[in-house]
Amino acid sequence: MCRTGFHVVLLLAVGAAVASAQDSTLAKMRRRADSLAREWRQATAFADLADSLERDRAITGGDTIAVGALRIITNPSPLPLRAAAARAWPVIDSLYGSAAQELARRPYIIRAVDPDTTVPRPRIHVGMELPWHMSENSLTLLLVSNVPIGPPDQALEAWLGGPVRPSVRAAQDRAGVYIQLVTSPSQAARNCLSGVQGGCRIALGLGDSTGLDAWYPGALERRALVTTAFTDYFDHGATAGTLRLCIAGSDSACTSLLRSLPPGALPKPLGSDARVTLAIVALQVGGRDAYRRLLADPAAPVGRRLASAARMSEDSLLAVWRAGIIASRPSAVVLPPFALVIGLAWISFFAACGLRSSRWRVG
Amino acid sequence: MFRAILYSQWKWSRLIVVLGTVAGFALPIVSLQGAARADRSPLAAQELLRAVQSWGTLYPVLAAALGLLVAIATWAPDHRGRHIHALSLPLPRWRYVLLRFGSGVVVLAGPMLAVLAGAFLATAVATLPPGLQGYPMALAERFALAVLVAYAVFFAISAGTARTAGIILGAIATLIVVQIVASVANVELDLWGKVVIVVLNWPGPLAVFTGRWMLVDV
Repeated sequence: MCRTGFHVVLLLAVGAAVASAQDSTLAKMRRRADSLAREWRQATAFADLADSLERDRAITGGDTIAVGALRIITNPSPLPLRAAAARAWPVIDSLYGSAAQELARRPYIIRAVDPDTTVPRPRIHVGMELPWHMSENSLTLLLVSNVPIGPPDQALEAWLGGPVRPSVRAAQDRAGVYIQLVTSPSQAARNCLSGVQGGCRIALGLGDSTGLDAWYPGALERRALVTTAFTDYFDHGATAGTLRLCIAGSDSACTSLLRSLPPGALPKPLGSDARVTLAIVALQVGGRDAYRRLLADPAAPVGRRLASAARMSEDSLLAVWRAGIIASRPSAVVLPPFALVIGLAWISFFAACGLRSSRWRVG
Repeated sequence: MFRAILYSQWKWSRLIVVLGTVAGFALPIVSLQGAARADRSPLAAQELLRAVQSWGTLYPVLAAALGLLVAIATWAPDHRGRHIHALSLPLPRWRYVLLRFGSGVVVLAGPMLAVLAGAFLATAVATLPPGLQGYPMALAERFALAVLVAYAVFFAISAGTARTAGIILGAIATLIVVQIVASVANVELDLWGKVVIVVLNWPGPLAVFTGRWMLVDV
């Protein structure tokens, strides 16, 4: 009895010791985490201070150019910034509408520098450094494609693959999306091209229908995807055998390979440029407050947000977008209309050169 | 007279023309061979376009080769015979040259028509993915124009004397030497690039050879 009591006491003592040790380990880890958090907060504060100082240094002594709500802080130089801003502002204003007024608080910081690379330049880490012989056209494109608008929420940015920016080559972008619709090895993209109900929604990754089954429902396309995009990735180690089975025609092998890809690695039927064109269409048809409506509800599905921005149903928006893409089909590779005339002119010219040769007058 | 000259032209260049005709007929068919296979994925549009584009580089090569060889064949017997036969004909020189040029164009019609027939046959047999279209007529038109331009250029060179050829080669050599000297002296002078742009872009004489030669495209 006495012996049993001793064992119970010993067990309790050991348990208490272990619990105490665990408690102290937990406390130690918590202290370390707190210490790291403190360090991180301190580092962030220093970084913010450095950014602020750097920003102050960059804008000190600079002129401010204001066109619409655009603000450009720059050093005196021959760079045609005002003219470029006057051309860029309508493009920016037409896309962001009322939200473009926010740009008055987010200026571009531009330092014009001597294009001669042997001339020493001040080192700045904020804004853009541009040679002052840059043309007005290039400068306009630069301003349009680097609008300092606030980034959208994470969900929209993840879907778009970046912020919404005005397109500097809208027609080519739409033509590129048309080519994607035709060449993407996905039935979803092909359905979108053919006008099948819901095809574009799936191809653009809107709604719940995303992933392997929605984007690549057929065995042929899964096989084509593996053999064209992932042969090198799967052709070693444990997956090499499965790859050979897939190439030989086993759909289950192709499916298992594609399911083993890391999240986000499965190619989307249409790339982010296609999604950007849809967002731009929504903003264009939605009027001046479209961008604000797009950002209004970050928790809502992207499709619904785009529809709200465009002030029309999701299906109607997709129909408008699809019609624009189909209308932008790139022109086929044929000779320009004047080619025949020019070609015949050159043929006549060279034939005439032959006529004038002096071969006949031999001896 | 034209029939006699055409006959001699055919005799001198028939091997080139027959081979060119076979190649011209086969090229479009071979370039679309994947599209006609039963096990081909209907979704592999990109691979099909890539194959068509790769094969497409052979059309300008074939056109240039045909133009060059037929132009050489047109004048080689005259050069060998020191133009005795041509001089014995009751014809002014300009008319003789025109007849020779015309007969060359006629024999070159064979390969041109072969490309047209091959292109139409290939696109008719192939199962093209949705969104892709065949352009047999446009391709054949481009090929015909390229063959004729190449033929006219080489015809003019072949019709000339060694002195003319020397002047042309000398001009090209001078251009190259000036370009080399400029780059050695660190002078920003891109003569060669400018000449290439002028010659290979519209309305340059060889612009028809550049660009994508696509039998099938979006």
